[in-house]
Amino acid sequence: MVSTTEIRQCVEAALPGARVLVADTTGAGDHFELQVSADAFKGKGLVEQHQLVYGALASLMPRIHALSLRTQVPEERAK
Amino acid sequence: MSDVIEEIEREIQSSPVMVYMKGTPSFPMCGFSAATVEVLREIGVPFKSVDVLAEPEKRDAIKAYTNWPTIPQVFVGGKFIGGCDIVREMHAKGELAPLVRAAAKS
Repeated sequence: MVSTTEIRQCVEAALPGARVLVADTTGAGDHFELQVSADAFKGKGLVEQHQLVYGALASLMPRIHALSLRTQVPEERAK
Repeated sequence: MSDVIEEIEREIQSSPVMVYMKGTPSFPMCGFSAATVEVLREIGVPFKSVDVLAEPEKRDAIKAYTNWPTIPQVFVGGKFIGGCDIVREMHAKGELAPLVRAAAKS
């Protein structure tokens, strides 16, 4: 069983400044929906963006049964 | 492992769209694999698939090959384009159909 806090902490540690939204979709601690917005994604394709997140979660992945992932580059702030 | 990798490299070149999935298109054994097949059917492109549940060594090999920890995995024109989430996202943006049609022509 994995907690949403563990997932958030792993992603935030690997991608400093990332905005992380995570939901335990069944309440059983093994199905999650994850949205990550990070500057580190800039200039990268979706495959590379997802690989960064999967890499951050490598230690948790064996305990996660299903993970739905959406990655985004943060929108430029209006100056 | 290298034999399996060579087989994978042949497979991904053998069809414009190649899907490594759990189960078969008719009997998917996982919701993510089913959703991926559904998108490809909607686009109406022929594709080939490998059932990694029937070939456990390939299940590990494909994850190592792509540095991608989950199944399904989709290849278009021999290039890895992602798993279920990316396929769905590209389809929603209208980006997937042109890509697979271009691969089917070449």
